[in-house]
Amino acid sequence: MDYDAIVVGGGHAGIEASLALSRIGFKTLLITQNLDSIGRLSCNPAIGGLSKGNLVREVDALGGEMAHLIDHSMIQYRILNRRRGPAVQAPRAQADKFTYARLAKETLEAQPNLALFMDTVVDLVLDKEGKKLVGVVTQRRHTITCRVLVLTTGTFMEGRIFIGEYDAPNGRLDESAAIGLGTALRSKGFPVGRLKTGTPARVRKSSLDFSKMELQDGEEIMMPFSFDYDSIDRPMLPCHITWTNERTHEIIRANIHRSPLYGGKIVGKGPRYCPSIEDKVVRFPDRERHQIFVEPEGEGTEEMYLNGISSSLPEDVQWDFIHSIEGLEDAQIMRPAYAVEYDFIDPQALYPSLESKLVENLFIAGQTNGTSGYEEAACQGLMAGINAAQKLKGEKPLVLSRNEAYTGVLIDDLVTMGTQEPYRMFTSRAEYRLNLRHDSCDQRLTQKGYAVGLQKQENLERLQAKLEKMETVKELLAKRRMGEKSALQTLKMPEITIADLEAQMPELSSFEQPILYQVELDVKYEGYINRQERQINRFEKLESLVIDALMDYDAVEGLSAEGREKLKKIRPLSVGQASRINGVRNSDIAVLILHLDRGGRHGK
Amino acid sequence: MQALAPSGILAGMTRYVTDDIIYALATAWAQSALAVIRISGEGCLKALSPCFSRPKALVEAQNATTVHGYIRTEAGENIDEVVASVWTDGHGYTLEESVELSCHGSLSVIKEILGLLGRLGMRSAEGGEFTFRAFLHGRLDLTQAEAVQELVSSQSKTARALALGRLEGSLKNQIADFKQRLLTITASVEVQLDYAEDELDEFVFPREQLETLRKDIAVLADTYQVGRLYREGARIVLAGSTNAGKSSLFNLLLKQERSIVSPVKGTTRDYIEADLSIEGIPIRLYDTAGLREGSDAIESEGIRRTERLMGQADLVIYLVDSTDVSHIPSEDERTIVVYNKSDLVRPPKGRLAISAQTGEGVTTLLSAITERLTGGSHASGDDLVVIESERQSRLLTDAGNALERASALVTLDIPLDIIAVELSEALQNLGELTGEVTPSDILETIFSGFCVGK
Repeated sequence: MDYDAIVVGGGHAGIEASLALSRIGFKTLLITQNLDSIGRLSCNPAIGGLSKGNLVREVDALGGEMAHLIDHSMIQYRILNRRRGPAVQAPRAQADKFTYARLAKETLEAQPNLALFMDTVVDLVLDKEGKKLVGVVTQRRHTITCRVLVLTTGTFMEGRIFIGEYDAPNGRLDESAAIGLGTALRSKGFPVGRLKTGTPARVRKSSLDFSKMELQDGEEIMMPFSFDYDSIDRPMLPCHITWTNERTHEIIRANIHRSPLYGGKIVGKGPRYCPSIEDKVVRFPDRERHQIFVEPEGEGTEEMYLNGISSSLPEDVQWDFIHSIEGLEDAQIMRPAYAVEYDFIDPQALYPSLESKLVENLFIAGQTNGTSGYEEAACQGLMAGINAAQKLKGEKPLVLSRNEAYTGVLIDDLVTMGTQEPYRMFTSRAEYRLNLRHDSCDQRLTQKGYAVGLQKQENLERLQAKLEKMETVKELLAKRRMGEKSALQTLKMPEITIADLEAQMPELSSFEQPILYQVELDVKYEGYINRQERQINRFEKLESLVIDALMDYDAVEGLSAEGREKLKKIRPLSVGQASRINGVRNSDIAVLILHLDRGGRHGK
Repeated sequence: MQALAPSGILAGMTRYVTDDIIYALATAWAQSALAVIRISGEGCLKALSPCFSRPKALVEAQNATTVHGYIRTEAGENIDEVVASVWTDGHGYTLEESVELSCHGSLSVIKEILGLLGRLGMRSAEGGEFTFRAFLHGRLDLTQAEAVQELVSSQSKTARALALGRLEGSLKNQIADFKQRLLTITASVEVQLDYAEDELDEFVFPREQLETLRKDIAVLADTYQVGRLYREGARIVLAGSTNAGKSSLFNLLLKQERSIVSPVKGTTRDYIEADLSIEGIPIRLYDTAGLREGSDAIESEGIRRTERLMGQADLVIYLVDSTDVSHIPSEDERTIVVYNKSDLVRPPKGRLAISAQTGEGVTTLLSAITERLTGGSHASGDDLVVIESERQSRLLTDAGNALERASALVTLDIPLDIIAVELSEALQNLGELTGEVTPSDILETIFSGFCVGK
C-alpha cells in the first residue's frame, strides 16, 4: 500500500480532506492537476456570507483550515444582516485571492504526513469484486494504491467552458479539464450528471470611474472567522456598487439567441439562486435595473470582479453590455465572463458519512457532489476527510445532525434528496437555525473535532475558558440591579444592547467582545430557543429510530411502490431521514415504524 | 412527517397488522333488507372461493365488477344468495384486493356468513381498520381518513354532507389554500434571511396578508363548534311555568318536523324527551314537566332535575305566558325567551313571540334556534367547510396563535429571524393537517417569485 489515503483535487474540499487525514495521523497523498492552482478562488473573491459564514466557522470549530486562510488574506470584513436578527447574521470577507491560494499551498506544504503530487487521476482501481477501492490510475500511467480515497474534482471532471459560440474542454478558463475520470465512473455504474455554473468578467481597476458608483466599505474592525484568536489586523479595500440599466437589458435581449444556454448547447442545470444576467433579464422583464458589486480581487492586482453579471454571452456582447453600465463605460475587460459545465455524481449514492454506497473506502466531497461555493466544498471535504480517517481507524463515522450544524443540514440534504441544480447553503434550509448561530459553533463542534483526533487540546481548553467567562458575565448581569430589574432582565428588552449596559457596568469591559456579544444573544434569544427546543424534540424522536443500511424493503409489507423504490435507493439510516426523502409518503413512514416496532430492526 | 406522531388515527396503529385478511359487517347490525359484508386483504378472493358457488368466476373477476352466486358452508350447503363486488389490488377503498358481499339482511344469515369467514382463516376487523389500511396505502390523507370516521358515525343528513365534502377534499383544499398563502408570506421573510440586505429591495412585512390569513384560519377553527353540533347534536330544554304552553310547543315542534326519530315517554322521569332535527341539526328536545313557581316547591326533586337538565342544555327555550308576565327571566347566550299565546295578548314589541295554538311564529323560532346554536355559521350551503375533529381544531388554533404572536412581534419591531420561528410553527401546524411543508417548498417559492442572487 503506497498511502493510507489519497485525496484527488486541491480545491477547497481537497485542502480540508488532505489536512484532516494527515493531521489525524495518516500518510496522505494529495494529487492535483496543477500545484499552482491549489486553493484558487475561481469565482467570487470572497469567503463567507449568510449561512456560508457559519459553514466556515463550523469547519474551524472542528479543526479545519478555511477560517485561518481567509483570516490571513481578507481585505474587507462585513457582518451581513445585522438588522434581521442574530440567528441569520453572518460574517463575509473579501479575499486577496493570491494571498489566499499561496497560504493554502504553504499550509499543505508545511503539513507533516502529507505528500503533494502533480498529475491527473483518470480512473479508480477497484478490488476483484469491484466493491472496494484500492487505488487510482493517473494520466501519466502511475498506479498508486491506498486504503481510502477522497474524490474532490470540482468543476474539472469532463469540464467544458462556454463563451457564446466558443467552447473548450476546461475546468477554469484556459485550464485543462480532467478528461476520462467522469467516463470511467459512468462505466463503473456511478450516477453521473451534468451541472452548470458561471462567473462574471474581470475588469481593470484603473479603467473604471468609481465616482459614478456607490462606495461600500467594510466594518471598521475586522473580526476573525477562526475561534483560535480574538483579533486580526489586515489592510482594507472598499467595494463599489453600480447598476445595470434599460440599455444593458436591451443589448442582452437582442443577443439572447447567441447564449449557449438559450441555444441549447449547455445541458447541465444552472443555479436558480445565482442566475446569469441574461437569466435575470429574461425571467424578470419588469425590473429596471440589477445591482452589481465591483469587488477587488486582491491588493496586488488591478483585476476587479463584477459580482451580479455572470454571463455566457459572446465576448462582443459582453463588451457592449458592460460598457452600457454606469462607471464601466471605459472598462477594460481583462478576463471574459464564462459558463462552465461539469460532471457531478448524484450525492444520493452516498451515505451520510460521504462514503460511496457503491464502492467501499471511496469518499466524495465538494462540487463533485453537486454543490456550489467554496464553503460548501470545504465543509464536505473536512467531513469526508474525518470520516475516511474514522474508517481507517475502524470507528463510527461522524455525522452531524440538522440541529447542530449547517454542515449537517447540507450533507443530509444532499444524500437524502439529491440536487437538481448546484446546491448552495441557505439559512432557510435549516429548520432550527436559532441553534446554528455562527458565534456558538465552537460550543457545538469543538469537542467533536477533538474526539476524532483533529482539534487541538489547547482549543478545547480555550473553549472551556470562554464558557467560564460567559458564565461569569451572566452572573455579573444577574446580580446588578437596574431599577426594578436585574441587568440580565434588562438585556432581554429588544432595544437594550450589551453595549448600553457596558456604559454603566465598567467591570464588563475586561471581557472580550465576542464573549459579551454571545452572552447578549444567549440572553435575548433564550425564550425563542426554548420554543424551538420542542420542535427539535419531535425531530429527534424520528432521528433516533435507526434503520439498518441493509434493510430488506421488499420484506416490508404495505409500502407504496414509489416509496419502496426510493427507500431502496437512498437507504436512509433513520426514520427521520426516510421521512425527508422525496416520494416517501406519510403512510410509508407509518408502515416503516410499524415494521421496526415489530422487530424488523436488524441492528448491527 | 412529524405529523404522524400526535395523530389520533395513528395512535392505536400498532394494534393493527396489515398482512392478513380482515372482514366486517359494513352495514348496521340490525334486521334489514340487505346487508354488506366487507372483506379486504391480499388473497381474500382465493380464500373465499371454496365457499362460493362460482369459485373460478370470483377469483378471475376483473376489478370493479360483480359476481353473482351463493355463499355455502364447508359442507356445501347454501347459506345465502349474494352479489360479490370485487376490487383487485390497487383499487377499491383500501387499495387492497377486496370483496364486498351484498347478502340478505337477516341476522341469522349475517351471523352465519361472518362465522364462516372466521373459519376460513380471516380475522374480524378492528374498529377503523379498513380506513387505516386505506390511509396506509395512500388512498386517504389524514383529514380524509378522519372524515370517514365521522361519516360512519354521523347522525344527521347535514353532518353526512359535511363529512362527504371533507372526504372529497374540501377541507384539504381549504387548508392547502391557507398553506399556500402562509408559504408566500414565509418566503417573503425567508428571502430576507437568505440574502444580504444590500442584495434585496426594501422590505415591508406583509402585515395585511398575515392578518387576513389569521382571521380566515380562526373562522375555520371556530367551525369546530358547528361541526360538532351537526355531528353530536344539541340538547334543547323547554322551560317555563306550568301553564306557559310548553307541551303544546313540544308537540308542535314534533309535528313540524317530519324527521322524528323516537318520541320517548319519560315514564319514571319528570320530563319528556324526543329526538328531532331542526334545519339539519340533530336535536334532543326536553319538555320539563316539573317546573313550578313558588318557593315552597324549590326543594322538590322535579325542580332539581329540571334545573340540572337546564344546566346541561345547549339551549334553553324559556316560554313565557303572555297573559301572565309576572316573571321574565333574563336572556343570555344559552337562553331564548319566547312569549307564547301571542294570539291572546300582544307581547312586548321586538320580542320573540309564538302561538303554540295557531303555530304562528314557529318558523321564526326555528331559525332563531339554528342561529343561536350555530353562532351564525349556517351549514345549509354545500360550500361550507367545517372541521369536526379535535385534532384539526387544535392544530388550526395553534397555527392561528403562532400567527398572532408573529403579528405582535412585527409590531414590536423584533428581528425577522424570530418572527420566522413563529411563521414556521404555523406552517408546521398546517402541514400536520394534510402533509408536511419542507424547507425546499419554501425555497421553491422564493425562487419562483423573487429576483435574487448576485
